[in-house]
Amino acid sequence: MSGRTQRWTSWAILGLGFAFLYVPVLILMVYSFNESRLATVWSGFSFKWYGELLRDKQMLSAAWISIKIAFLTASAAVVLGTMAALVMTRMGKFPGKTLFGALITAPLVMPEVIIGLSILLMFVSLGQMVGLAPKGIASIWIAHVTFTLAFVTVVVSSRLAELDKSLEEAAMDLGANRIKVFFLITLPIIAPALVSGWLLAFTLSLDDVVISSFVAGPNSTTLPMKVFSSVRLGLSPKINALATLMILVVAVAAFIGWWIMHRDEKRRKLDMQMAAKEK
Amino acid sequence: MNAPWLKKLLPHPRWSVISVPYVWLLLFFAIPFLIVLKISFSTLAIAMPPYTPVLEYIDSALTLKLNLSNYLALVTDSQYFHAYISSIKIAAISTLLALLIGYPIAYVIAQMPPSSRNIWLMLVILPSWTSFLIRVYAWIGILKNNGLLNNALIGMGIIDEPLKILHTPIAAYIGIVYCYLPFMVLPLYTNLVKHDKRLLEAAYDLGAKPWKAFFKITLPLSKAGIIAGCMLVMIPAVGEFVIPELLGGPDTLMIGRVLWNEFFNNRDWPAASAVAIIMLMLLMIPILIFNRIQQREMEGRLT
Amino acid sequence: MAAEVSSGTKDPARADKVGADDYLRIVDIRKEFDGFVAVDDTTLSVRQGEIFALLGGSGCGKSTLLRCLGGFEKPTAGKIYLDDQEMNDLPPYERPINMMFQSYALFPHMTVEQNIAFGLKQDGHKRDAIARRVDEMLTIVQMTKFGKRKPHQLSGGQQQRVALARSLAKSPKLLLLDEPMGALDKKLRSQMQLELVNIIEKLGVTCVMVTHDQEEAMTMAHRIALMDSGRIRQVGTPDEIYEQPTSRFAAEFIGSVNMVNGRIEEDMADYVTIRSPKLEHLIHIGHGVSGFEGQEVSFAVRPEKLSIGKTEPTQPHNKAEGIIEDIAYFGSHSVYHVRLANGTKFMANFANMQRWASESLTWNDKVWVSWGENAGVVLTS
Repeated sequence: MSGRTQRWTSWAILGLGFAFLYVPVLILMVYSFNESRLATVWSGFSFKWYGELLRDKQMLSAAWISIKIAFLTASAAVVLGTMAALVMTRMGKFPGKTLFGALITAPLVMPEVIIGLSILLMFVSLGQMVGLAPKGIASIWIAHVTFTLAFVTVVVSSRLAELDKSLEEAAMDLGANRIKVFFLITLPIIAPALVSGWLLAFTLSLDDVVISSFVAGPNSTTLPMKVFSSVRLGLSPKINALATLMILVVAVAAFIGWWIMHRDEKRRKLDMQMAAKEK
Repeated sequence: MNAPWLKKLLPHPRWSVISVPYVWLLLFFAIPFLIVLKISFSTLAIAMPPYTPVLEYIDSALTLKLNLSNYLALVTDSQYFHAYISSIKIAAISTLLALLIGYPIAYVIAQMPPSSRNIWLMLVILPSWTSFLIRVYAWIGILKNNGLLNNALIGMGIIDEPLKILHTPIAAYIGIVYCYLPFMVLPLYTNLVKHDKRLLEAAYDLGAKPWKAFFKITLPLSKAGIIAGCMLVMIPAVGEFVIPELLGGPDTLMIGRVLWNEFFNNRDWPAASAVAIIMLMLLMIPILIFNRIQQREMEGRLT
Repeated sequence: MAAEVSSGTKDPARADKVGADDYLRIVDIRKEFDGFVAVDDTTLSVRQGEIFALLGGSGCGKSTLLRCLGGFEKPTAGKIYLDDQEMNDLPPYERPINMMFQSYALFPHMTVEQNIAFGLKQDGHKRDAIARRVDEMLTIVQMTKFGKRKPHQLSGGQQQRVALARSLAKSPKLLLLDEPMGALDKKLRSQMQLELVNIIEKLGVTCVMVTHDQEEAMTMAHRIALMDSGRIRQVGTPDEIYEQPTSRFAAEFIGSVNMVNGRIEEDMADYVTIRSPKLEHLIHIGHGVSGFEGQEVSFAVRPEKLSIGKTEPTQPHNKAEGIIEDIAYFGSHSVYHVRLANGTKFMANFANMQRWASESLTWNDKVWVSWGENAGVVLTS
């Protein structure tokens, strides 16, 4: 294969792959501006579905609940996930480590129906035994922390694993005990991983419909649960409008994140080049 | 903090760091499975919660009542059996499709100059940061009988009658591949990008054609990535509920749906628990394989 | 590779000025990893104010021993005393020992000043005292202009100076250097080696360094411990190690050497003769050795101690005839590879004192190599 055909094949693969990934989303966005109620027939440009969406009180309150839960989930999952990542990468062997490893990685692949069912039954049993069980938002929060925890742990521990261990040793050598080493050296260096872990947990929580459906009580309908029940009834341009707004938020956030990283990277490279030139 | 008596009183920091996430996971992830196991042996009852206790104090003696009928039903009722088989079939075929689509993408991105790799990778992941539900929803409008795909095909004169894709297993395949593709590409990419380019150059130098070099060098070396990617797609796909529910239609019988229906529609918690236990047992071996790969990765040991 | 022996700028008088002979005592230290013995019952003493090098190949246990001193590894057995204080149970953050890491381990999120101040801050010094000490350290390593920079804005040599300043800021009783030149390119190395020695000697800090590079050890250290598979094979000054190796391993590890096996024929108080099956003539040593007649020994002689010429030397022993098989030209000198009739090979250095001097001897020339009666050493182990 010559270099040129190889290059064409590469671009063809990327082109097809990204068309597959993005065309459905783009179509969805385009039809959010459709005048017609029929989501597949174009009848003119309009913002009317955005207006309807913003007037839908139930939808808005569900969105607010979801955002609250996602925020609390992400914050707790980052704390617990960072601890779990430390356990995986820094604590060496201890009795029960194999079980811990299994418990921390299994939620990554565990079907959501199983997680949802098992946590609900746990809450119910807890209620029977102690007479006290988390309800509504609290129960969704616990369930979400449990399954997002694994994702945060993966993100943070991959950063910890590549962190030069001699940095932590140097800090200890200079008189900082383990706790100080963690807060003064490790934490600031892995902070970007904590941010991406937080964002990941936030979106996972914001997105979950199955687990929430199991554990949510009657008064705590989250946004995905609301969307799911309306999608089950058929297409609705209002959902297209909601989707477009969500995609825009994510795209803008991703672009800002990329731009900050790109800028820092560029600055860093320039600094390193300048430093290499000096004696 | 320097007082030795205080140091002794406080738990060792190492153990407090270990115990907090450990207790959380035991309480909300491990113990719940045991409760599911327990309830799968109970009997459906019209009560709240809708099952009879397995352990009971009768005449000051602890009695264990194991009800195997939930499991018997799973064996005798062919609907369950079909659901398991078709879940595994759908998950396996979707995984294979995702591998066939994802591998070339991961490979091409790994070949890119390091400066542009990250942005392409981000573009692969970006859709999964938007709502999963909405990405599934997007396909309804495309695959419907009077949807965009059929309209386009009819408009181009390729077909006369609309193809029935939505509410068939094909739609479920498309949905699963679409939603899980990033989970396939990501581990493949992390594996492929670590390969030493000189290995391929050495193979070319020794006279191997590019295709041969790929099959003899790159593919075997990416085995760990392939396994990780396939597990990440297949295991959750077996228990998938939303995709078969929204795209698959009534004919797409999958075990996640059966569980959901037992729980929400029939309110038969013991049966739902039994379905979950069988599903867990089916997935146990793949999950253990995945665990081992993932743990090795987390502890920083490569391949 | 032939090692260039250089004494650097080490002040020869210093060896007398140093304090206690066993300032650092390593007693029967043993370290095992899952059954693998990394350090095998090692005992060692380091003088106050000395630069002491642990030299050896990869996996010889030198780094593990250093990490035991730093407190990063717990020895399986044995004791470490520094200034008569036992170190074993002290964690790294309570030891009066500081280390310069091979990768420098400069904290990437802190400026040069913050890096140097880090250790002082942990000790709870006053803010202005810290600032004064940081300035002082920056002056010593000539980095005053760079205090506000971040590590990635520095070149390799500059990073090393900062790392050194950081590990010296707390005036440790013992300074550890882990492969100090490992991250620098070759050209910068020789310059930094001397600079590092100057700073360490100026401050008078006791220093243990680890290196796999014999030139580095010889340039920088007052004394060297040669390590192999977890054990110390020889301890001595650089010239002792080079000129008086006590084992075949030591002779072969440092520099290059010609070695022949043989048997002691005459064992007198003031001379010894050795008969080697590889050599036609006897080996004559001009002093007594601790051995007995008939003992199996090795005779080692460095290439630069051999003379090479076309005419047969007049002495009755310490000579061999062969042909030139290979010539390696190094500029300052050339190394001739001479093959004897029975296949034994000798390397002989020839200093190129005049331009084109080496051209008088060429491939396949018949030549004689010879050496003086005190040129080589007799090795029994």
